[in-house]
Amino acid sequence: MTTLDRRQFFKRLAATSAVAAAGAWFPGIVFPQWLPLDSGTESLQWRKTPCRFCGVGCGLLVGVTDGRAVAVKGDPASPVNKGLCCVKGYHSVQALYGKDRLLRAQIRKNGQLVEVPISEALDLAAQKMQETIDSHGKDSVAMYGSGQWTIPDGYAASKFFKGGIGTNNLEANARLCMASAVTGFLTSFGKDEPMGCYDDIDHADVFVLWGNNMAEMHPVLFSRLLDRRLRHPKTRIIDLATRTTRTSQAADHAFLFRPQTDLAVANAICHEILRNGWEDTSFIERHCAFKSGKTNIGYGLSDSFKFADQPQNSSFKEFRKFLEDYSPEQVEQLSGVPAEGIRTLAALYGDPSRKVTSFWCMGTNQHTRGTWINNLIYNIHLLTGKISSPGNSPFSLTGQPSACGTVREVGTLTHKLPKGVVMNPKHREFAAKIWGVPVENIPPKPSNHTVSMFRALDRGDIRFMWVQVTNPMVTMPNLNRYRNGAKQDGRFLVVSDVYPTPTTEVADVVLPSAMWIEREGFYGNSERRTQHFDQLVEPPGEAMSDTWQIIEVARRMGHGKLFPWNKTDHIREIWSEYRRFHAGPQHEMATYEELRKHPGIRWPYVNGKETRWRFNTKHDPATENYNPQGPESFDFYGKPGGRAWIWLRPYETPPEMPDSEFPFWLNTGRVIEHWHTGSMTRRIPILHRAVPSAYAELHPDDAQAQGIRPEDTVRLVSRRGSIELPVSINERGRPTRGQVFVPFFDESLLINELTLDAYCPISAQPDYKKCAVRVEKA
Amino acid sequence: MIENTEPSSRLVMIGLAVVLMAAGVYLVGTALRQDRQAHTTPEGFTSVARGGAPVPTSGERGSATPRYRALRETAVRLPAAHPVSARTLATFYERRAYPGASPQIPHAVKPDMAETGNSCLQCHAEGDYAPRFGAYAPVSPHPELLSCRQCHVPQQVEEVFAETAWSTVRPPSLGRAAIPGGPPPIPHSLQMRENCLSCHSGPAAIHEIRSGHPERLQCLQCHVPAPGLSPR
Repeated sequence: MTTLDRRQFFKRLAATSAVAAAGAWFPGIVFPQWLPLDSGTESLQWRKTPCRFCGVGCGLLVGVTDGRAVAVKGDPASPVNKGLCCVKGYHSVQALYGKDRLLRAQIRKNGQLVEVPISEALDLAAQKMQETIDSHGKDSVAMYGSGQWTIPDGYAASKFFKGGIGTNNLEANARLCMASAVTGFLTSFGKDEPMGCYDDIDHADVFVLWGNNMAEMHPVLFSRLLDRRLRHPKTRIIDLATRTTRTSQAADHAFLFRPQTDLAVANAICHEILRNGWEDTSFIERHCAFKSGKTNIGYGLSDSFKFADQPQNSSFKEFRKFLEDYSPEQVEQLSGVPAEGIRTLAALYGDPSRKVTSFWCMGTNQHTRGTWINNLIYNIHLLTGKISSPGNSPFSLTGQPSACGTVREVGTLTHKLPKGVVMNPKHREFAAKIWGVPVENIPPKPSNHTVSMFRALDRGDIRFMWVQVTNPMVTMPNLNRYRNGAKQDGRFLVVSDVYPTPTTEVADVVLPSAMWIEREGFYGNSERRTQHFDQLVEPPGEAMSDTWQIIEVARRMGHGKLFPWNKTDHIREIWSEYRRFHAGPQHEMATYEELRKHPGIRWPYVNGKETRWRFNTKHDPATENYNPQGPESFDFYGKPGGRAWIWLRPYETPPEMPDSEFPFWLNTGRVIEHWHTGSMTRRIPILHRAVPSAYAELHPDDAQAQGIRPEDTVRLVSRRGSIELPVSINERGRPTRGQVFVPFFDESLLINELTLDAYCPISAQPDYKKCAVRVEKA
Repeated sequence: MIENTEPSSRLVMIGLAVVLMAAGVYLVGTALRQDRQAHTTPEGFTSVARGGAPVPTSGERGSATPRYRALRETAVRLPAAHPVSARTLATFYERRAYPGASPQIPHAVKPDMAETGNSCLQCHAEGDYAPRFGAYAPVSPHPELLSCRQCHVPQQVEEVFAETAWSTVRPPSLGRAAIPGGPPPIPHSLQMRENCLSCHSGPAAIHEIRSGHPERLQCLQCHVPAPGLSPR
C-alpha cells in the first residue's frame, strides 16, 4: 500500500462515517404491498424440497410459518444447485396462492361446470370409466399424465391401468418432451438415462450446447457452466442453435444452423474427426459396434402410420464410407455453419487433452428425426471415447421435474412397465408378481402413444380420458383437431389440476389437486437423482393429491386390493413396493428413510454409494470388471457384448419446409420466466409482469423487408391455423432469417393451433420446432 | 519480572513485531491491489478465493472477507449522494416478494438478450453513479454470479394475471440490540448476502440500515446472526 493510498483511504473513511452517522434506525416500517402475517422472519421453519419446476431438480428450502409457505432459498446442502435458484424457483411458492385456485370439484351439468363435493365427482369419474369399459372395451379408456407427476402418482396410475383395468392406454406429456432422448439411449446403449451426472460440469473443458438455450431453460446449470469457465479459463462454451439467445451471448462461439441440419452437422463433425485420425481406435475396437437402420422413415402424419426400425450390422469401414457425403464444405452448403466452424467443433471434440460435455434438450428431442440426432451426438462421443468418465459426457437434459423419475423410471408410457416393457413376457410376469395380479391382466401389446391417443379420442376409439397435471389443450400440436375431438359428444374428459386452464374448460369432471408440497412425494431429475419431499402445508379446500385421487377411483371400480394403504402410509408403502422393481446394481434405489434425510440420491445406489458414471468400471458396480482401484475401462452392459452402438443415420428433410406460400419456419419454445403453459407461473406476479404475453420474434431484416416495426402486430398463418401476436425484434432472441419464434406459455395466444403433429417415427415425439408459416403485418 | 527481561529476548520481540507488521502491510497491500480487478478475476460461486485458497465447497459461501474487499473499498470511497439515500427500506422490500427474495429490476433492460454479466455489473459491481437514473446503483452482494437475469427480472406491466392471496412474514424489525447501544444481531440469512456493505454502506445504502462505521471491516465480530436463521 502506498502512502497516497493510505491517506486517501483515511479521508474517504472520515467522510463516509460522518455521513453515515447521520442516518438513524427507523423501526416499525409498514409494507402495504404484502398481506403481512403476524409472524416475523424468526418464526420460519426451513424445510427441504426439490423445486416444482424444471428437470434440473434444484434443492429448495421453503420457509413455512402459520401453515403457509412464505419464502424460499436455495438449499446449500444440495449438490445440484449449491444454494442458488432461478427466478421461478425463488417465487415458486407463490404458485400455491392464486385466488382462483380450484378448491372444489366440478362436474358439467347442462353444459356448465358446477361445484360438487369431491366424493360425488370421484363417483361420477369411476362410474363413467366403468360404463365406457362395459360398452366399448378396456382400450376405450385412457389416462394422460405428466413429467410433473410425482413418482407415487405415476406408479399408482401404472398399477391401476396396466395391472388393474388391463389397458396400455397410459401416457404422459413427457412423450412430447423426452421420448426421443429415451429411444436415443435405448438404441445406442440399451439403457435409459444419462451415464454421467452434473459433476461432469466440474471436470469438463468444453461444453457444446446442441439447440439448447440453457441460460433460460436450465439456468442454474448454466450458472454452473459460467462458474466453471471463471475458475478454469481454458473452458469453452459453444452454442449450436437456430436462434441467437442469451446463451449465444454468453458462449465463446455461437454457430447458427438451418432447422433440421443438425443431423448433417453431427455427421460432418465425425467426418472431420476421422479425416484427421482423432478417433480413439482402441476404445472403438473394444467398446463399440456399428449399426444401420431404415431410412426414409416417414413422419407419422396419418392416423394409420406404423413404423418399426430394423437394426442391421454395419462396420467401421461402412461408417467411413457413409460419412463421405458429410464433408464440412458440403454441410456448410446445407446447414449454413461455416466449414471452419465444423472443423473447430471437430477439433474440440477430437482433442485428447480436452474433456467434452454435450448438452441438449428440446431442440434435439422435438425433432422428426429426434432419435437419430440423439444417436449422432452419441456417435461423436463414442468415436472419441469421451463418454462415461468425469467431464466426458453426452448429457441429455430433461424439461420436467420428474420426467425421468416418474415417466421414464416408473414407465408411464404405453409400452413400458416399471421394469422393462409390456412386450416382454418375463417383464410382464415380474410386474404381475409384484402387483399381485394375474399376468394375463397386462396386455402384451402397446396401444397408443400420446399423439395417437388424442387421435383415437378424436375418432371415438377412446371415449374416456383422465388428464392429470398437464394442459394438453394448450400443448398438443395441431391443437384445433385435438380440441375439437375432445369436445365431441360421447367423449368424457376428467381433468385434475390446480387452476382453471383451457383443458379444464373442456372437461366433464374437474378434480382439484393438491400440488407439490401440499402432499408428500418424490421427483427424479436429469442426473438420476431421486428427491423426497414431505407435505409442508395443507392443501386448500377439498384439493386431493393425484395419487389419492387415483386410489379413490380405483377403489370405486373394485380395484381396491391393489391399493391396500391408508392416507398416512401410502407414499412410504408405494415407495417400498416400487423399489422392488429396480433391485440390483443397474438401478438400485435408496430406501424411503435415506431419501427423507438427503437432498436427493442418485441411482444406481449400491451399498450406500451413488454411481456417478455408469458403464465405467471404476465407478459402476454393475459393470463386469468393476474395480474402483483398477484401470479405467467400460462395459456398456445394456447391449450385447458390452458394446455401445454407433449408428449410420443420414440427414433427411422435415415433412414441412418453407415454400412460396408459407415462406417462414415456425419455432416454438419457452422463456425463463414461464413454466410450460403458464398455469402456475402466470399466477406469480413478478413472473407475469416480466413477460405478460406471447410474442413473435423476427429477424430484423425480415421485419424490415415486410415493413414491420417493433410496435406492430403480426399475423402468423400456417396450413392449420392463424394467430395475431405482438412482434419482437432484437429483444430476447433473434431467429435466423426466414424463421419466426413464438413462446407457447400463453393460453390466450395458442401457437400450437399452427404447429404440425408430425413426429419421430421411432420415439413418437412431435416436432414443435419446425413447420411452415406465413408472416403478415396485421 | 519485566525489568529482568533479557535485552536479547526484548530485541527478538521487537524484531518479531516489525516482521509481523511488515507482513500485515504486504498482505493488505496485495489484497487491495488484487481487489481492484475483482470483477474480472476468474472465480465463481462454488469457487476459489483470490490467491487460490479454496473456499468451503459444501455450498455455504463462507466468510466474505477476501472476496469482497474491493466492494468494501468502494463502499467507503464514495460519499452518499444525499444525506438521505434515495433507497429506503420501504422501496427495498417493495421490490421483493418476501424478505430475502431476489429483487425485481426496477428499470428497463436493453437489450433484452445481453449477456448480463457484462452489462448489469458495469453499474452493479461497484455501485457507480448512473446518470440515467439520477442515483447510485446498488452494489450486488454476489458479483461472482454472472447470469443476473436468471433471478432478477424487470417488470413490463402493473396488472396481474390472476389475483393472489400471497402473504408472507413481516420483515425483521429494527433496533434489536440486546442492550441499549449494543450491536444489533443480523436479522437475515447471509446466504448470497455476505457482503454486508452492499446494503449497509456506500452511496446506494439503504437509508434506515446504513452502518455508522463502515471502516470496521469485520462486521461479524460484533454483529452475530440472530437465532433461528440457519437453514435447518
